[in-house]
Amino acid sequence: MIRLFGLLWPRGDRRVTVIYALLVVFSLALLWSVTEPLVGSYARMRVDVPKTVFWRQVIWVVLSWGTLIVVSRLPLRYLENMSWPIYLVVLVLLAMVMLIGPEVAGSRRWLAVGPMRLQPSEFGKVAMVLLLATWLGRRTEGGSRITATLGSLVLALVPAVLVLREPDLGTSLVFMAVWLGMIFWYGISTLLLLTALSASASAVIMFYSERILEQPWPWAGYLLVLMGILYLLRGSVGASGLILGANIAAGLGIPLVWARLEPYQQDRIISFFDPSRDEFGTAYQAIQSKVAIGSGGLFGTHYLQGTQKGLAFLPERHSDFVFSVAGEELGLLGAGTLLVLFLLLVLRAVDVATEVRRPFASLLAIGVASYFTFHVVVNVAITTGLLPVTGLPLPLISYGGSNLLASSLMVGLLLNLSVHRYDD
Amino acid sequence: MEFRQAQVVRGRLFRLLAFLLFGILMVNLVVLTVVQHDYYRGRALKNRQVQFRVPAPRGRITDRDGVPLADNTFHSDITVAASQFSGGEPDSVLAQLFAWFDLPPAETLADLQAQAAQRGGRGRAVLVRGADMGRLTTVEERRSRLPGVRVESRWRRRYLQGALLAHVIGYTGEVDNDDINEADPDLDYRSGDYIGKQGVEAAFEERLRGRTGIKLEEVNATGRIVGRESVWLRAVQPGRDVALTLALPLQVAMDSLMAGRRGCGVAIAVPSGEVLAAVSLPSFDANIMTGAISMAQWRELSEDPAKPFFNRLVQATYPPGSLYKAVTSLAGLRRGVIDTASVLEPCLGGYQFGNRWFRCWKASGHGVLDHADALAHSCDVFYYQLGLRLQLADLAETAAVFGLGQRLTGIYPGEAAGNIPTDAWYDQRMGRGGWTRGVMLNNAIGQGEILVTPLQMALLAARIAADGHVPSPTFVLGQQPALPATNLPFTPSHMAWIRRALRQVVDEGTGGAARLAGVAVAGKTGTAQNPHGEDHAWFMCYAPAAAPEVAVAVILENAGHGGAEAAPVAGAWLHEYFLWRDARRSERGGGS
Repeated sequence: MIRLFGLLWPRGDRRVTVIYALLVVFSLALLWSVTEPLVGSYARMRVDVPKTVFWRQVIWVVLSWGTLIVVSRLPLRYLENMSWPIYLVVLVLLAMVMLIGPEVAGSRRWLAVGPMRLQPSEFGKVAMVLLLATWLGRRTEGGSRITATLGSLVLALVPAVLVLREPDLGTSLVFMAVWLGMIFWYGISTLLLLTALSASASAVIMFYSERILEQPWPWAGYLLVLMGILYLLRGSVGASGLILGANIAAGLGIPLVWARLEPYQQDRIISFFDPSRDEFGTAYQAIQSKVAIGSGGLFGTHYLQGTQKGLAFLPERHSDFVFSVAGEELGLLGAGTLLVLFLLLVLRAVDVATEVRRPFASLLAIGVASYFTFHVVVNVAITTGLLPVTGLPLPLISYGGSNLLASSLMVGLLLNLSVHRYDD
Repeated sequence: MEFRQAQVVRGRLFRLLAFLLFGILMVNLVVLTVVQHDYYRGRALKNRQVQFRVPAPRGRITDRDGVPLADNTFHSDITVAASQFSGGEPDSVLAQLFAWFDLPPAETLADLQAQAAQRGGRGRAVLVRGADMGRLTTVEERRSRLPGVRVESRWRRRYLQGALLAHVIGYTGEVDNDDINEADPDLDYRSGDYIGKQGVEAAFEERLRGRTGIKLEEVNATGRIVGRESVWLRAVQPGRDVALTLALPLQVAMDSLMAGRRGCGVAIAVPSGEVLAAVSLPSFDANIMTGAISMAQWRELSEDPAKPFFNRLVQATYPPGSLYKAVTSLAGLRRGVIDTASVLEPCLGGYQFGNRWFRCWKASGHGVLDHADALAHSCDVFYYQLGLRLQLADLAETAAVFGLGQRLTGIYPGEAAGNIPTDAWYDQRMGRGGWTRGVMLNNAIGQGEILVTPLQMALLAARIAADGHVPSPTFVLGQQPALPATNLPFTPSHMAWIRRALRQVVDEGTGGAARLAGVAVAGKTGTAQNPHGEDHAWFMCYAPAAAPEVAVAVILENAGHGGAEAAPVAGAWLHEYFLWRDARRSERGGGS
């Protein structure tokens, strides 16, 4: 009897399982609230987000729990061997989305499987993490690190570009962010890191100068400061040249990238930098989300009683903006609890990554950590107005089966690694 | 081993980064929920609480017996936000509505833009006025998919008697920018509201309007009201009714007696000064003015040569013609230049003054006449001679005590004062020495430069009838008259004489057509020459002659002789009046 019960519980770190369970229950509580009519002195009204959303998620939670149990028990060797086939299958699925996926609101992101809609890009994240861990794990001793890094970049770029073509900017950025996290763990030179970071800064400043201020001085100023710093550091001519070259290339390249973005993506980015340009368009979502969270205060308006949620001022309140519902109805207390739970999950993943011996396992764990860090930080930054709006769910919390399943796979892998910690 | 050692350092870096990122999020969360909490709570409140203006029903306008003449109907407009077409193109929602309602896109858009322009490019514009059930249902059922579109209900004025009272009551219309800027801010006019534009509607706007209520409602993101209870920030105060002094049956009688003619008929009660009937023809249906009058309709009315918008009661001025002989007689008696029994040179059909021959209207001449006969038969030659004994100032002083040359109502914009010329007036007009005593001949018979309104002539008759104890006419019960009742500066014997003479006009003179069976009528005919066409037919009278209770003035433009054209109308109306009066007395009096 006890043995049987044990089979219904995933193997591995209890703390991770508890955090996972708390997050999933939190999610169901929020989705219940989103699908309930507003409590208080309001006439009975139709709720835009139907109750089926909640019940579907319940089914997905059950499926995810089963996934967790299975994945936490799979032999590590088996996962490593399967990483290429899994990766290739996901690539095929992503290609199929391009070809036969139904177009919804101008983009193709799903595959219809019977009554369900699967989002292959979500599973692509898991497949990439697995393959990068395998690829980089086998190249920790001997051989060219630069070659290995460039190879891993190609492995990350292929699904990322396929997803970008859907188009789904947010998800494709996840691929690059997770790749960055794993490459950092694999060991990248400080020079390359500095180059990448300063080039990103150059791109953002150039964008800001060109599109918002419409004059070139800030970017020129930035380049002058950068040259001054490089002179003071007195590094090698080659290193300084690489950094300066990358910065100039990034700055001059950004208008080219900009031209390739979809108009709605351009709108969102511009309205983020300058909300006054578009009070009722794309900035509307961000404003309403901040109003929801800000009006929640310390303890919230009370469960089921958020008016931003209940009167539909808050957009996408069951999916990308579910965090704002937590903020509105449960206040700083509820939203803060969510953040702490996610931070604890990430810290556990980093613990596992530093404790396990095999590079494959360590890289896999840091991939999981990167995945949750990026997803949570970007989603919450969007809902609190720190980043421009781009469609990105809050893992384990937002409505959506594919994301929940993919996130559960990530947690399952983490649980699995925590058991095999000292395996060779 | 190298990889594992590096992991420890990188693990610290990764944790540091995680703490940093989550820390930023947490700090930002605290800023939002604690520091900026009040601001965002206010924003959330502003999101869902919307103030709705609830227009007050406008007070009704009734006749003196409470019969409604103007009331209100409730109708629903479909309105859209100005932002939906501010780009010069209708947005997708608006384009959809154009298609559903079969509205011509270009014209409708132009109309909406014109409305928005009136409101500084902001606010709302009416897409469909007084929408029918089908269109309202179309909008209501798809409400959530039609952001910005609203159904707004308003009161609209209805004039139950159409054209009958348009000149007295006036009409309402939507406020324009000037109205809003000029109005008392407390009255709280907003675009789309109605305001009295003319007549009693305009003069009694404050009383009729009432006060718009303000209701606080909770709405959802699509603007639908979802709150179970609304909070009244300010209660609706319905407008108060206004009762006219007019009696509907008497108005109808005057209107039908003048049907098809151009001119004016007005009757006032003696001694109250209350207007009992006031007809200005042609008229227009006031109902077309309340909604959106089409340009074509407007042009047709405003370009009509008969001038239906012209309120002849108070805006039109005519020479009084022979009606003025009553004034001339009284001026002569007052100055002592003539006696009640005086006989002047006989009338031979004209009078030589200087090198000009002034004709009497009766070419064969009246022969020898005394003062009373001269008035009864309206002999011009007699009055030429009387005029020469007077100064312009004498005529003007006497005219003034009857209210001539003055605005009488104080409620009608554009009301004319008329013109009673003086020496100074002629000096200014023709230059000093540019005119001769000859003007006295014309002035004495009410021709030349004298101008009066029909209402002034009714007051003239009323004040002769009641020794001046009649205030200037009022159109609304309880209204303060513009001019108080007065005492006439004539001796009782002079007043008795003029009343006898006016009665003689009807009994045996030019006013015979106004004679009534059983009631003595005193009056005066007039035939005003007019350089633009046929003579205007005038008649003024009061009755009963012995104990006057009503005074009437009638003018029919270009109709010819007053005695033949205007007097019968006045007489027939008086007949109706006494029937009406007797019916009321028996109704009211009952046993007493």
